Amino acid sequence: MVSRFDQQKTKHQLFHVSLSLATILICMTYMQYRRNWAYLGNFWDSLVVPIVFIGELLKVVLARFYGRIEDGVLTIKQRQKKAAYFTARELAGGFTLQFLCTLLYAFICIILGAPVLGNYEETFVLSLLMTLLTVSPTVFLLGGGGALQVCFCEKPDFVTKCEDTALNLFKYNALGGILGAWAGSVVAPLDWGRDWQVYPIPNIIGALLGSAMGNIYACTHVLYATARVYMTKKRA
Amino acid sequence: MNVIYLLVLIWLALLICSGVLLFSRGFLLARVSKTETSTCRRLSTNHNDEYMLTPEVVNEIFKDVNASSNLCLPQKSKVIILVVDALKYEFGLYKSNITEPLPYENKLSVLQELLERSPDQSRLMRFKADPPTTTLQRLKGLTTGSLPTFIDIGSNFASPEINEDNVIDQIVKSDLPLVFLGDSTWTDLYPRRFKRAYSYPSFDIFDLDSVDNQIMKHLPKELASDDWQVLIAHFLGVDHCGHKHGPLHEEMARKLTEINEIVSSVVNAMDNETTLLVMGDHGMTASGDHGGDTDDETNALLFAYSKQSKFFGSDSGSDNETLQQIDLVPTLAAILGVPIPYSNLGLINFNIVPDVPVPHLSKFQILLLHAWQNAQQIYRYFFKYAMENRRTFDVQEMDKLETEFILLTHRVQTIYNGVAYKSFVRDLNASLRDVLSTCREIWVKFEPTQMSQGLLFCFLPIFFAFLLINNSRPADYSNMFKPKGIFYTYLLNLAAGVFGYRYYKNFSFKSEEHGVIFFTAITSTVILAFYTLQHWTSIASNWANVKRFGHMPTRLLLFSIMAVFFSNSFVIQEAKILSYLLVAVFLLFSYELLQQSVRFDFRNKFRASQFLRSTALRLILASILAICFIRFAYTLFRCREEQGNCTDFATSNTSGFSIKKPGTGKTYILAVVIIVIYTTLTRLYLRSCGNLTGSSPNVLLARYGPTVATICAGGHVLLANSSIKNIQRTHIDAMALVIYGLLLLQIIVLSLAPLMTFVLPKRNPNIVTVNRNDSIVPEIFKKMKRMYEGDDAERHTEIPIVYGLATVYSSITITFGVFLAMTMIVLLEPRAAIGLVVCVAISAILLSVQGILRYRTATSFESCVQPTFMAVVGWFLLAHFCFFATSHQTTLSQIDWRAAFVGRTSGIGQSNIISGALVILNTFCGPIFFFCMYALLSTETFSLFALFPNLIRSFSNSCRSGSKTDAAVAMSDIANEAVGFDMTRGELTLYEYEDVFLGAGFKLATQFFMLQGLKIFCAMLACTIHCRHLMVWKIFAPRFIYEALATFVSLPALIVGYVLLLRINRAVDDLIKRINKAKTQ
Repeated sequence: MVSRFDQQKTKHQLFHVSLSLATILICMTYMQYRRNWAYLGNFWDSLVVPIVFIGELLKVVLARFYGRIEDGVLTIKQRQKKAAYFTARELAGGFTLQFLCTLLYAFICIILGAPVLGNYEETFVLSLLMTLLTVSPTVFLLGGGGALQVCFCEKPDFVTKCEDTALNLFKYNALGGILGAWAGSVVAPLDWGRDWQVYPIPNIIGALLGSAMGNIYACTHVLYATARVYMTKKRA
Repeated sequence: MNVIYLLVLIWLALLICSGVLLFSRGFLLARVSKTETSTCRRLSTNHNDEYMLTPEVVNEIFKDVNASSNLCLPQKSKVIILVVDALKYEFGLYKSNITEPLPYENKLSVLQELLERSPDQSRLMRFKADPPTTTLQRLKGLTTGSLPTFIDIGSNFASPEINEDNVIDQIVKSDLPLVFLGDSTWTDLYPRRFKRAYSYPSFDIFDLDSVDNQIMKHLPKELASDDWQVLIAHFLGVDHCGHKHGPLHEEMARKLTEINEIVSSVVNAMDNETTLLVMGDHGMTASGDHGGDTDDETNALLFAYSKQSKFFGSDSGSDNETLQQIDLVPTLAAILGVPIPYSNLGLINFNIVPDVPVPHLSKFQILLLHAWQNAQQIYRYFFKYAMENRRTFDVQEMDKLETEFILLTHRVQTIYNGVAYKSFVRDLNASLRDVLSTCREIWVKFEPTQMSQGLLFCFLPIFFAFLLINNSRPADYSNMFKPKGIFYTYLLNLAAGVFGYRYYKNFSFKSEEHGVIFFTAITSTVILAFYTLQHWTSIASNWANVKRFGHMPTRLLLFSIMAVFFSNSFVIQEAKILSYLLVAVFLLFSYELLQQSVRFDFRNKFRASQFLRSTALRLILASILAICFIRFAYTLFRCREEQGNCTDFATSNTSGFSIKKPGTGKTYILAVVIIVIYTTLTRLYLRSCGNLTGSSPNVLLARYGPTVATICAGGHVLLANSSIKNIQRTHIDAMALVIYGLLLLQIIVLSLAPLMTFVLPKRNPNIVTVNRNDSIVPEIFKKMKRMYEGDDAERHTEIPIVYGLATVYSSITITFGVFLAMTMIVLLEPRAAIGLVVCVAISAILLSVQGILRYRTATSFESCVQPTFMAVVGWFLLAHFCFFATSHQTTLSQIDWRAAFVGRTSGIGQSNIISGALVILNTFCGPIFFFCMYALLSTETFSLFALFPNLIRSFSNSCRSGSKTDAAVAMSDIANEAVGFDMTRGELTLYEYEDVFLGAGFKLATQFFMLQGLKIFCAMLACTIHCRHLMVWKIFAPRFIYEALATFVSLPALIVGYVLLLRINRAVDDLIKRINKAKTQ
């Protein structure tokens, strides 16, 4: 049985995925436009981080937009959660969580071989990007405490259906980003002598491409599911 | 029964090793280099000399040409050699009829001009190189006149200096001054030989000009001065241009034009008594690379020019089209009047020897003398080599050559005119070329059959072992491998081996080894295939249960490990790549821990306080500590030449003890402190397990041995490196010897009485003093009764109490490891010793994390005793990471020879075998140590839970929300419920499920076999694919050698680990039987 809700869900998923892909496409276009990639590691000079930030924000707005339909059928806990979204406590918690996460990523970068002394700016930009791709969307959607719960619990009870859809997609995005950034290092030891082999660039591009891959994977999943529903319906 | 597994392991190890051996026979061409040198009597035109040329002397010589060996005719001219790297033959050909020449065509116009102007004084020839066509090997060939192979056995690895007889040394000995300009490879090969050397490093392959510009700056000045007899200039630009742009680029035209200008300026500047030789050391392919044996790469160019004197013409009997590169050495020797180097195999080519008259000698006499001196030298070398290295050459071939030579020695007496000389020299050259081709057959050609068969025979056992053993359950092996079956397997292999040994010729194999390996490998493969087919149903059903895309991240890691071999950049950076992957393993572990704790601890709500108290957090912190250790190990890596700004590889040449780098004093202290911490911690661990109680021999050794070893190791580290002069070497050696002795003692004790347990004598049989509140629970041998007697009534009367039974397997392995590690620490440099201990710490963390994860994910004993795939890969990675963490690199010049002298400077045990074993133990300390200890991966899970029973409680509590309160009593039941067996009894459980446990140990060992086999297979495949690569002899081949040695070492190490397991198991068996017996009495 395919209900109206599910159609909404599919639409939401598809919009979400296309938003992420568009974000990455814009990043790529921007990089193509700038030609020289050496600036990618600079915080003030590169627009990649702001673009990704805006993209993630838009995704959260999208989730809110689709979420308004379910407003009527929320449980008390979900209602409480929603009401507490803009309190100072939640905002501070979310910010702290993201900051800690950035630090964690920076630490991981360093233990995976980034220079301990020096290249701070590059490491910071990379870890900021990783945070934006992995933790930030969840924090934007649910606030700091909520994000922690989602990360560490199997099924928190305050998550609405629509948020759940978004969270699922965020997961693909995050996994793709992490794997991509990790695998990006593969070009670092090669002796091609290109200027884009310098430390953060392959990882940043890897993260972006990886999250694109994750999204494409998610997209095929959604399309496959819809196609199957469509086929069974037709047969019936 | 259990020995059967061992035999299977040995069989598999032999199969894999024989494949590797066969491959290396085909790939690594080896030659024994001789250090003898030639000498000669110089015939001179000077009146004051001893052997002045007079008619009487000439008569004397020609009375018996055979007796008058070792003669040198006077010098004919000075020589200028311009070596242009990668100057292909086609570059020098002039095609007058083309309008649009390619970038490399028609650029060397000066050669054409000279050839047209004075055809008798100039020669343009094809200069045929022998593979491998890399610059270093070519230079060796161009100066020694022999066929350089990759490994010249007997030459020293530590420095590239040539110690074989060569033309440069002969020139120096004859007091002819040499001047050199250009590529620093020459000065590496021949340090201190040149009167003046302007050498520049050739490393930066993208730098087309700087070396050439430097040469051009100094060349005019040198040409003007007249204090040299031989001038050598080596230009690199053309070769670098080929590598960077290829021959069809405009840059090539520019470089060749430059060369053209240089040649014409040299021609203008040189005087009349000088011969100019312009030559390429090898050619290049269409893409500008070289190293292999295609015509494009081997055809270089040689141009000779002499201003005044003509060259000998075609009546000299030499080839005037092509000049073999090894012919250059005798030719140079003839021009300069120096002895021909001892190991030369080339012929004098008279086409480029200036025809300078010698008093009292006619032209044919000069030629005959030269040619016969040359022939005598070649035969002398060839037969000497064949005598000392029997079986190198075919016997019939040798006989034929010897007969020919004897005939020629008779014929040479009867030559009195030019015509006779001509026919004689034709036969002589043919015979000498036979010698050369015989040698070439053995020294130069890769053998594709041996290489491909080696690859195949390495792959097949791994493949079938994967099918057969990896896909079966540990309990099934006892049905699979019956004693009879294994006996017949060995018998069949023996028969196949004998057959191969006897009939290898009928199958046109080169050597007995090849025949033996071929037939045994075929037989074994058939047997393995038979086993696989026999058990196919169970294999298929087990395989069907495997998750289809399981372990994806781990497979990715494994893929990356294997991919390292296929790119030279990856090989260069291998240390960092391995640590990157190892960190990834730990990150994956942490991720999995988090996931587990999410599933068990926080079903619905995340509580920070609970998380802070949980085991998961502690384990994650431990993982982070391990990761920090790995990152710290970066500082211990040794760099290699290709990485740039690296000084390590240079210092390793100067032998051992006296180098003082600033700040190393701190390193020594740090090393000692770390060693002490290591032994203290292991001691504490063993004591808390209750394994240091009682007075069995192994307990005594484990109690006092490590302390003694630590003191000795620390003392050795400090004293051997101290700057105090008046310490006797014997005192330092004594410390190392004590440690060797302790290791031997440990091995003896292990074979006699390995157990580290203590059976508490019954003081008062009616009181059972079991202190359960203590965290040292495992001394209690619980449920002994129920398991072995089944009688509940007697339960309260007699419960034997045994200390250390819960960690009976792991404690002995760990103690053995301590002694092994101490031996390695003494052998390693202090810095590397730190690396080893750091790796041991990482392994401890890996073990505990994997143990707890394993328990949580296990569903039965069988799965609990087999470590996860990720842990296996992690352990494997760690073993290889340890190689780099202990300051080793995969280059041949960085082998730490110092280890061969530890404890042996005062002349004890001068055998080479011990030296070799010590160096191997030093170099491969990582693989040896970790593969000997591999059994810990399956036992440590159990000892952990025996040590910290709280772990079980905390899990089950969270699982079932603490319904049971009387934890102490119910613990075993809880464990029973969770995994299906009682975890609190620790490693005694392993004994109870003996079959499964030994099977699992066997399976684990074969898994490591497979990983190591896959790795060496990839190394061999990479060498096969890249056998024409520019860097094959510098990077890929050394990497393969290291990996092959690691395989030869780590497979036996795994077998040792398994033997240890079997020995302990038998001892435990005896102990239990004894206790039971005592009780029943």
